[in-house]
Amino acid sequence: MARTNVKFSIFKYTMLLVIAIFVLYPVYYMITLSLRNQGSLWSNPTLLPASDSTLENFRAAFASVEFKKSLYNSVVVCSSSTILAILFGVMAAYALTVLNFRGRDTMGRIIIVAFLTPGALLFIPFAVIMANFQLSNTLKGLVLVYLSFTVPLATYLLLGFFRSLPPELEQAARIDGANRLQALWYILVPLVAPGLVSVAIITFTGAYNELLYSLVINVSPEVRTVPVAILNLSVADEVPWGRTMAYSSIAALPIMALYFIGQRFIVEGLQTGSVKG
Amino acid sequence: MATISQAQVKESTVKRARRRGGIFDPTSILGYFMMLPAMAVLGIFFAYPLGFEIWSSLTDMTLGNDAKFIGFDNYSRLFSDAEYLTAAKNSVVYVTSVQAGKFVLGLGIAILLHQKLVARGFWRAVVLVPYAMPGFVAFLIWKLIYNPDVGSLNILLTKLGLIDAPIAFLGDRDWAMASVIFATIWRGFPFWAILFLAALQAVPKELYEAAAVDGANAWQRFRNISLPGIRPVVLVVFLISTINTINSFEAIWLTTAGGPSDATVILPIFAYKGLTSFNIGQSAAAALSLVPVAIVITFFVLRKMKKDQ
Repeated sequence: MARTNVKFSIFKYTMLLVIAIFVLYPVYYMITLSLRNQGSLWSNPTLLPASDSTLENFRAAFASVEFKKSLYNSVVVCSSSTILAILFGVMAAYALTVLNFRGRDTMGRIIIVAFLTPGALLFIPFAVIMANFQLSNTLKGLVLVYLSFTVPLATYLLLGFFRSLPPELEQAARIDGANRLQALWYILVPLVAPGLVSVAIITFTGAYNELLYSLVINVSPEVRTVPVAILNLSVADEVPWGRTMAYSSIAALPIMALYFIGQRFIVEGLQTGSVKG
Repeated sequence: MATISQAQVKESTVKRARRRGGIFDPTSILGYFMMLPAMAVLGIFFAYPLGFEIWSSLTDMTLGNDAKFIGFDNYSRLFSDAEYLTAAKNSVVYVTSVQAGKFVLGLGIAILLHQKLVARGFWRAVVLVPYAMPGFVAFLIWKLIYNPDVGSLNILLTKLGLIDAPIAFLGDRDWAMASVIFATIWRGFPFWAILFLAALQAVPKELYEAAAVDGANAWQRFRNISLPGIRPVVLVVFLISTINTINSFEAIWLTTAGGPSDATVILPIFAYKGLTSFNIGQSAAAALSLVPVAIVITFFVLRKMKKDQ
């Protein structure tokens, strides 16, 4: 019995190690490549960190006005659409779980249908409509378009958190003399606060990672978001790999750090959303 | 008899009144007020564009012309368009393979993480890495890994002596689809693994203990306790993830852009290419041809959720 346990342990940890390499290798590769010059990729093909590594690509990235502008654009667009989505989402999730009113179930269904609708369905009309309303190539326009998926996403995830609160809480607060809005603000919102953190991170990264709408609606250099700016490093089929990977590292590592800081909340959020939702 | 039924009627009316007031009750008004921003957003940025798209799919709209109503011409033209049919076929191959891969890998890793482990939290965090990485970055890295001239996969295979000449994983018709599928699985399996793990952890331990007492072996316990326990989660994860996979524009646009020739064109890529050549009516029709699939999936998700409540 003891021997099979040892064997099983070896098997378990070997598998975990294989998975860890499979999962982490692209991250390692991104970082080592971000330190390479384009020319040395051909002259010095290596799988290990190269001896001719340099920080030149990072220097170029931080010196690039366009890239800094794109980081700024992404942060502005994604924070605005996240804040609005959470505000609207809390209001809607509260109404859908605590209040009883006619049409509630239909509205809940509309939220889920919007949540399930793929972005690939709507990018064509958005391109035309935004152009018609003179909103293409503006940050404002992109925030509005992003609301089309951040609001249903945030509401859907928040619904799970609101549903997990015992209904007696709200009633007790009102018996103690609080009105509905006070009960929402002082009792319910603090209780779903961890949920708000996870919803904020999931919604923000969802907007930050979005490529298609950004590609279709914001074309001019001064309103590009990060993914579009990185794609535009390539001229025709020529990809400057070192620079692309340096830009990608700068774009990805803070977001990944955010994920690991909020990991516990995020897993809970995904779970509440998909499992109970 | 009559009194009882009258009392019952009264009680049920009272109940209903308490459950759901008229639309002018204070509760209802507060409810509508709270729903207003979300509903307004969905009206303007969901229902309106969708309506606009349906209308434009029935016209010969291009950029700058006055759209003329042409009925279902765009649709009938699509179904005789060889590239559209290839895109539809590729979509089926791509989505089925990616989902099968994510299921197997996700379930396997969830089971592994569910074992007794030192530092389980650490391993779970490691598994989450591909999901935490922005998709556009992940697919650029995979494009580089697959690169025939400087990519690490070719360097590795050459150093191991497995190949003589580099393989253009994304540029060769025989390899492109499989390579893209593999990269998509890498990026997508953590979502499955983490949710499967959560579902496994929610299965009561007593069930396993009781089964062990009854003499069930490991496979029987998995087959008869674990699998039924996680089935509801599998279904919802599968449906949500399928919609996202049908939708995966960036996975393909950033790696092969649909090539070589049309080997990896899936429907969103086909529609995007149509838009960039300003063929709005036609690409609207192509995008809308995803709707029947979305409706079927949405229907199952809604039904499943109703059952849960």
